[in-house]
Amino acid sequence: MLSRIADALYWIARYMERAEDTARILDVNYYTLLEGAGGANGVGWEPLVTLTGERERFFARHEEATARAVFSFLGLDVENPSSIVQCVALARENARTIRDRISREMWEALNGLYLDVTRLDVDEVLAAGPHDFCTQVKAGAHRFLGVTDATFPRDDGWHFLAAGQALERAGMTARIVDVQYQWLAPDGATPDTDNHRWMAMLESVAAYEFYRRTYHTRIEPARVAELLVLHPHHPRSIRCSVATLREALRAIGGAGPDDYASEAERLTGRLHDGLKYDRIEDLFARGLHAFLADVLRTCRAIGEQLARTYFYYEVAT
Amino acid sequence: MQTLLDGYDTGAFYDEMLAAPGVPRPHYERLAARLAELSPGELDERRRLADLAFLLQGITFTVYSDTRGTERLFPFDLVPRILPQGEWDRIERGLAQRVIALNLFLEDVYGPQRILRDGTIPRRLVLSCQAFRREAMGVEVPRGIHVHVAGIDLVRDSKTGDFVVLEDNARTPSGVSYVLENRAVMTRTLPAVFQQYEVLPVDHYPTELLQILRSVAPRREDRPSIVLLTPGVHNSAYFEHSFLAQQMGIELVEGRDLVVDADTVFMKTIHGLRRVDVIYRRIDDDYLDPLVFRPDSVLGVPGLMGAVRARTVALVNAVGNGVADDKAMYAWVPTFIRYYLGEEPILRNVETHVCDDPSQLAYVLDHLAELVVKPVGESGGYGLLVGPTADARTLAGFRERLRADPRNYIAQPVVPLSRVPVWDADAGKLVGRHVDLRPYCLYDGDRVTIVPGGLTRVALRPGSLVVNSSQGGGSKDTWVLRGER
Repeated sequence: MLSRIADALYWIARYMERAEDTARILDVNYYTLLEGAGGANGVGWEPLVTLTGERERFFARHEEATARAVFSFLGLDVENPSSIVQCVALARENARTIRDRISREMWEALNGLYLDVTRLDVDEVLAAGPHDFCTQVKAGAHRFLGVTDATFPRDDGWHFLAAGQALERAGMTARIVDVQYQWLAPDGATPDTDNHRWMAMLESVAAYEFYRRTYHTRIEPARVAELLVLHPHHPRSIRCSVATLREALRAIGGAGPDDYASEAERLTGRLHDGLKYDRIEDLFARGLHAFLADVLRTCRAIGEQLARTYFYYEVAT
Repeated sequence: MQTLLDGYDTGAFYDEMLAAPGVPRPHYERLAARLAELSPGELDERRRLADLAFLLQGITFTVYSDTRGTERLFPFDLVPRILPQGEWDRIERGLAQRVIALNLFLEDVYGPQRILRDGTIPRRLVLSCQAFRREAMGVEVPRGIHVHVAGIDLVRDSKTGDFVVLEDNARTPSGVSYVLENRAVMTRTLPAVFQQYEVLPVDHYPTELLQILRSVAPRREDRPSIVLLTPGVHNSAYFEHSFLAQQMGIELVEGRDLVVDADTVFMKTIHGLRRVDVIYRRIDDDYLDPLVFRPDSVLGVPGLMGAVRARTVALVNAVGNGVADDKAMYAWVPTFIRYYLGEEPILRNVETHVCDDPSQLAYVLDHLAELVVKPVGESGGYGLLVGPTADARTLAGFRERLRADPRNYIAQPVVPLSRVPVWDADAGKLVGRHVDLRPYCLYDGDRVTIVPGGLTRVALRPGSLVVNSSQGGGSKDTWVLRGER
């Protein structure tokens, strides 16, 4: 497989994952705040801006993190490279460069979503209820994932798609947990126990019902963190995403079970072992924020190493 | 009842559908009957469905002069253009003859130069051609094929009703993907009409092209590694590049995917370098290799020409073909046919004045307002002068340019192109518009294969004779009817 094609597949998956995750967060946050769970102690829209890492760009353009400003910025702003619309456009642009390598259905799913979400106006979207927009993005992303699963060959390209999705998802969940804990429990010891907010956070990663089934208790912040960081089976937990990433990199590298083929694979394996053998109490003892910051740093390094090994290696001639 | 063809004006031109108002030509009768059953609303609804199909599939092209640099639909008209097989057979023979002669000319001009040495054509005209590539002199091309793919533009002259050749494209002609996609969309949009005709299929084009690409591989490999080299996603024909690569199952590559080491071409894969045997390149000569041609090219592959000379890789089409489709050389193609094949040309040329010749230049300057003037090396309809519709300032400007650089221009009388009905959504009726025809010819060194029909391009602006997509042209599905005279 051409390096450029692997590169494009990897980024299609990353951008689509980012679009879907952002839609989830926007959707849940909007309706949680409608029910009055925010506001009072300043919890509102600002954490969303923080977790996408675009604070500077946001406050250069908006004075205050109002619902309209954040929704417009994260959902529809073409000047914001992390906005949903831009993620979809970039995924589609990458797909356009490898049209010959993806199925017609995959292209039509991406292109259809692109045609649907571009040219939307923030007032129209808010007037219609942002839920429609978020549902449309999620459904579009799921359609793409579905036809990909149904039509894409299980070759190296498949593993690069999986790697891109898993790496993006691990990072996104790490940021969601980090921002939420920092905001609600600045000292890390006495997390706020407002049920609404914790439920919203679980819902934003599709883990609310799963939490109820797993723990049979009221919502406890430590358990929520445990589920989202360390759970082996919830598809949006950091550990589960890193496990998927490790499998994808192993399949691409082709090394035996006792070995690894690339620096990216080594870093991923080490990260996974930490997530597998650490307990949530250990992480709180060391400081959850420091731990998550380390996860994010490692994710970045994995991305860089992956690109260096497979996409942009030097050729001596 | 009002039908779609009521009040249709055939004008002063050869109308391909109607012999006279209300009287369809025999091979159009069944189509006319079907159209009579459709209301304008129904036809328009089908047009919208066809447009949507193209949009969803991203079948678009990029317009360079459009500053937004965005993708645009190539307008597709639903009314098919129909040719009986009897007429097509003659066209096919004429095209095959022409392609073989062009190939022989290239083999000669980059080899022994017999045609120049015996003075059959002026040496100066060939050597002054911008597209003549000294770098290709003496380079032996696999199986002697220079023109693997040619697009020959034909028009039907309203005065005679016959097809004549308007220009040759022997470099990297584009548009064949529209032939295939138009047909696919057409069968889904107007299936009923297809059932009444036996239309010759076109979908074997990629298979035929792949055969040729395989046949020129320098290594005797079971599965030679074949790639299509594209300038990238911003090229106007990018959709076609990816479409053809996908249809043939070959790798679509950009210059940055390839490297040359020890005169051998490799592509960069996730598991290291892999050798490349055949390159179907859709990049102009100028940009192929910055070490040999334009040094500022970032689209090409440094060292590629070295590999071509070392014969470790085959290029399709060969380098330097522009000397054969230069518009001044076009006037000499009938001479090539007589010289190399000893045959009379089956298809006529349009009368052409080569401005490089002082007496012809004088004629052109005197008759500028009646003529079409074309730069010899351009394509895509850029830089044209259509004398009869030009204002005095434009004419004066061209006069200056002709005097300053006569070698760069040819002039032809305005050919009154034939017309076919086109659906005008705004007016809600069918109107006559001018068309040309570009068949795609594949040459394997022995015979020429042409998928029946080709791309019919339509000048959608009323009265316009310029059919290029970059100049507001659209396209139609083109049907050749089996067995019909």
